[in-house]
Amino acid sequence: MPHFYLREILLCVALSLPWANVAHAQHDHSSSDFEVFVAAEAFHGSQQTRLGDADPWIDADVVFGLTKHQFRVFGEYYITPDERDLERFQMGFEFVPETVLWFGRFHQPASAWNTEHHHGQYLQTDITRPYIERWEDEHGIIPQHITGALFESRHSMGKDGAVQISGGVGAAPALSDRALEAIDLIGDNPGRHRLSVTGRLAYLPQYVGASSMGLLYGHDDLSVSSARTLASLQSNAAKLSLYGAYIDWMAEPWRVVAADYYVDVALTEINRNESFNSGYLQVERQLPRRFTIFGRLEDSARMQESRYVALFNDADGDIEIALRRQALGVRWDYTRRQALTFELSHIVSLTQKSNELRAQWSAAIP
Amino acid sequence: MSKIAATAVLVTLLAATRPVSAAEQLVLIVSADSKVEQLDSLEVRKLFLGLTVTYNGDRLRPVLDEADARVKKIFLQNIVSMSDTTYDRSVLRLTLIQGQIKPIAYKDIAQLINAVIADPTAVSYAWAKDVAHDSRIKILRVLWYD
Repeated sequence: MPHFYLREILLCVALSLPWANVAHAQHDHSSSDFEVFVAAEAFHGSQQTRLGDADPWIDADVVFGLTKHQFRVFGEYYITPDERDLERFQMGFEFVPETVLWFGRFHQPASAWNTEHHHGQYLQTDITRPYIERWEDEHGIIPQHITGALFESRHSMGKDGAVQISGGVGAAPALSDRALEAIDLIGDNPGRHRLSVTGRLAYLPQYVGASSMGLLYGHDDLSVSSARTLASLQSNAAKLSLYGAYIDWMAEPWRVVAADYYVDVALTEINRNESFNSGYLQVERQLPRRFTIFGRLEDSARMQESRYVALFNDADGDIEIALRRQALGVRWDYTRRQALTFELSHIVSLTQKSNELRAQWSAAIP
Repeated sequence: MSKIAATAVLVTLLAATRPVSAAEQLVLIVSADSKVEQLDSLEVRKLFLGLTVTYNGDRLRPVLDEADARVKKIFLQNIVSMSDTTYDRSVLRLTLIQGQIKPIAYKDIAQLINAVIADPTAVSYAWAKDVAHDSRIKILRVLWYD
């Protein structure tokens, strides 16, 4: 790891110390907050020559927020040895409590997993995220970062419950060489971004609870910005339509997270449609002494037949596209805001079968 | 027999005349300058879980009392109804999801009282005995008693 990156991560940690739970409560009615989620990972995999693109050996996710009256500014800066990205930067106005209109780069609301965990590894019980929920720069096949406007609202329903509505409209990623390329707020942008419309309608049995279930929708118009992709796809654009349902249910000590997506891909130039399904079920159980065990099943249908999905497989020695995975692990929150996690998984990818063993230390600072 | 009866009468009288101990009441507090007159249980729970709660247009600020372990335990059990780990992760999650500001925590009761007095939008909780005679503090209601 270059010293430059180590310095950068240490700087973030150091910067967070004076902010430790300050959340300034001054009379100017402004508040600010700063949080760093850090994780380090060790990996051993059979049939794989290297750690996957989704698995940096160390990463830091720096989250900062500022609230003044009804205005909010919020950002998430993600740092790994290979990547430094302003993943989210949003400016919002809260019309009434829990109804916010945001502008900026955001995580699309039609992902059941990413809208809950974002890039912060510590808040995720397990180490890996389901393959269908991968980020664009990890060869993820669903657009996740949209630049535009995001509307979020939560309303009481019944005695204790609530309904949550989220809708996003903006510029979708472009389809470049074996990866989706979202708008980069601080780097170069080759352009070719078209429209993305995404949404979620969720029911929360308790307004302030952690459980929810709902429906997901996304439509992304992806333009092809690479000659190789154009040759493989034989189309200069692909229209992705996503329909999904999810449940994230917590009844301590149990938690169940499940999602299923149906994705339709329309290749405009050759007038061809293809579709596939992908879903997962994760069950977690808290144990005494702050241990949590978890298991996850991922499965898919027709992904191996999809020309669109095949685009993302670059045969570089790691696994980009998994058709199925079974994962089992244990997490130990051995002290406040620090955890050790071990995860064992068996993966069936487009080209091979593989077993993986991962160990991770994760923390939230301060 | 008369000895037992006398003891029983004495115990009954002591129990009847003993004032409700202020030390055994956890109360919801704001600054005496605050416009807030009342908050129901759901609003209190929303507030301490980091959601937006307003009163007459003012956004309220939650202040956590971590001055003693028992207060923290009662807060977790009776106000937010969560385990320590789940509460901490819920608050962190709100920071990560929406950039919501985490509640401020004080480990010293004098500092907490000063913070509440200084900010008319601050809402906290404390043992009644620590705030009952402070005219700068307004007690909204009893959250818990033993």
